[in-house]
Amino acid sequence: MIDFKNMDRRRFMGLAGMTAASSLILPQFGRPAFGATPLAAVKEEDAVIGFGHVGPISDEGWTWSHHQGLEAVKAAFPKAKYLEVENVPFSADCTRIYRQMVSDGANMIISTSNYGDLIYEVSDRATDVAFMECDGHRKADNLSYYYIQHWFPTYVAGVAAGLLSKTGKLGYVASFPVPAVFCGTNAFLMGARTVNPEATLQTVVINSWFDPQGAKQAGTALIDNGCDFLFGIMDEAAYLQVAQERGVWAAMWNTDIRRYGPDAYVTSIVLDWNQYYVDQVRKRLAGEWTGGEGTLLPMGKGIDRDAWGAKVPADVAAKADAVRDRILNDGFNPFVGEIKDVDGNVRVTAGETMTPEALYTWDWSIEGVSGLKV
Amino acid sequence: MSGLQSLRLVRVSAVSGRRILAARVISFIAALAVGAVVLAACGFDPLHLGTQILKKSLGSRFGLEDLGLLLTPLILTGLAVTVMMKIGLWNIGADGQFYIGAFAATAIGLFVKGPEPAMLVLCFIAGAAGGALWILVPTLARAYGKVDEIITTLLLNFVALLLVYYVATGPWRDRTTGTVASTGRVPYEMPDFFGSLHWGFVIALIAPVLFGLLLRYTKWGYEIRLTGANPEAAHYAGIPVRRRMITIMLLSGAIAGLAGMLEVTGTVHRLQGGISNNYGYLGVMVAVLARGSPVGVIAGAALMAIILNAGIILQTQGLTTAAVLALTGLIMMFTAVADQFAHYRLVRALPVPAASAAAG
Repeated sequence: MIDFKNMDRRRFMGLAGMTAASSLILPQFGRPAFGATPLAAVKEEDAVIGFGHVGPISDEGWTWSHHQGLEAVKAAFPKAKYLEVENVPFSADCTRIYRQMVSDGANMIISTSNYGDLIYEVSDRATDVAFMECDGHRKADNLSYYYIQHWFPTYVAGVAAGLLSKTGKLGYVASFPVPAVFCGTNAFLMGARTVNPEATLQTVVINSWFDPQGAKQAGTALIDNGCDFLFGIMDEAAYLQVAQERGVWAAMWNTDIRRYGPDAYVTSIVLDWNQYYVDQVRKRLAGEWTGGEGTLLPMGKGIDRDAWGAKVPADVAAKADAVRDRILNDGFNPFVGEIKDVDGNVRVTAGETMTPEALYTWDWSIEGVSGLKV
Repeated sequence: MSGLQSLRLVRVSAVSGRRILAARVISFIAALAVGAVVLAACGFDPLHLGTQILKKSLGSRFGLEDLGLLLTPLILTGLAVTVMMKIGLWNIGADGQFYIGAFAATAIGLFVKGPEPAMLVLCFIAGAAGGALWILVPTLARAYGKVDEIITTLLLNFVALLLVYYVATGPWRDRTTGTVASTGRVPYEMPDFFGSLHWGFVIALIAPVLFGLLLRYTKWGYEIRLTGANPEAAHYAGIPVRRRMITIMLLSGAIAGLAGMLEVTGTVHRLQGGISNNYGYLGVMVAVLARGSPVGVIAGAALMAIILNAGIILQTQGLTTAAVLALTGLIMMFTAVADQFAHYRLVRALPVPAASAAAG
């Protein structure tokens, strides 16, 4: 069965065709800004920190990476009490779980996926509790959101893909037509086109974040269609295994899972929340935490490309890393117009640079990407 | 003749409610005991967890509000299934009718403007009509073609889920606040009366009582009961069996649709894929627990709500979802086994065992 219940997860960045900019300036309670006053300090031994995850921490992917963050926080503040709930559903049960955490005395609640109103229902009524929503869009005095600028390492991986692919046909195993997927496919192809202007990207949407069978079929179909480089946004390694069997390349997400396809593995968009979570909890305990923040962790501080795979030629790695260095050191932003959508309309005019907010909420495909148009 | 050889197990077809209740209490305690042993083996303190559950679900305002919010859809979907059980049919599609009720109420809420009370009434009607519409085809197929309603109602659940996902992530997706995978906020809200508990809870409490009274004190109710007990006899008694069946099935769908409408306007305020939270399927369990009694649905739903709420409390206490599911399953399984066990008694083997069995 199609795993629809899982579609509503963190990377489902507000499908809406809005821009974060509009939500940032949205008047809330008629006040211009949030988080003017920090929440009161809490002693470490009295503190209760809650984490809610969309999946199981054994997923070796997204949820596992956040669990590592929690472990880092625990190591930094061992005297605090921690609550951790896995598999938080996208239903009124989510509200119940976070409300329960509040009634258990939580001072800070970190939702590692976005649940929108289901969280605000609780956060609006528990104003002394700090709430953090991964991939969220709303801010309040006690509510901030955070996410990662995944488009930069994705672009770097795209450069490598453009160099490694012989057919110029790239494949992408997608979950749902959501901004993380639009942005991921677009950034990947834009990277590839810097070295192979003829490159194209075919997408297969499998309606799940975790469906090894579906991902395997999608990967097989893409290879049968002539793709010799697979990318995607899955929480498991099924299409990497297909790539390994069929002798093509693959790039992954979340964690280093090269052992599932050591020859095919090129890189992964790897996550590291540890430092960010430790900082946020430290601020909360010290009485320095303020709401109203929208943080997109940059490359090198929470997200990066993984160490290159064993079979990736040194010159390919070097060329891709040169782009990575430019982004890291020179503030290079490759997302500059003119960019046309699949229908040939100019969506970003010549010379215009896409803002992090625009990238965060990208919801259309660039020319050359097929299979995603809604 | 004495000793073990002369004893045998005999199945009794009719069992008193008291006997069932006793069996259930015993099974519930047995399930808790097994669960406690497992929890203790995993390093948890079962007594402490038990106290936490009681304190947090029944002893706190938060807990009571949550119970009420859980009870509202559970009572209604449980009632929807029970209503159809009255004529011997199974509505496994309450989940789908719930979705379509929510869908219809959202459609009205998002696209029609008007004063709040009138709009809530309109949403109410739309929700009930949506649910009834969703069971219309299974109803006609059953009434005129003898098509198994279990299959048709069940399969339509998936269609409803797909439809809701389509509108929530496609044409009706939220464009103003960018909220995840859901429609915009429905501007009409069921008023609250106890914290976040809304008046839908009161509607949910009234519905089974009303249905119970109709069933018991009206000619229509008598005809339904007769149809359920023996359709052939009902037919010969001049009862329009087919028409009663159609009414009951549509009523069942309407009640489940109403549950969806109340979930949208009272609790979630947006249409989204996860909105049913499996309430439709849980309704089947509630109906089984209630054993066909409309008012018993409230008790069955209360037990289910406490179990579900306990599951959430246990999760925040550090148990994994899998362990919580296993515990919930354990209680349900023990209850089902107890219901069966209550039908058996140990009797002395007599030349005519049926006589002694019937006496039970």
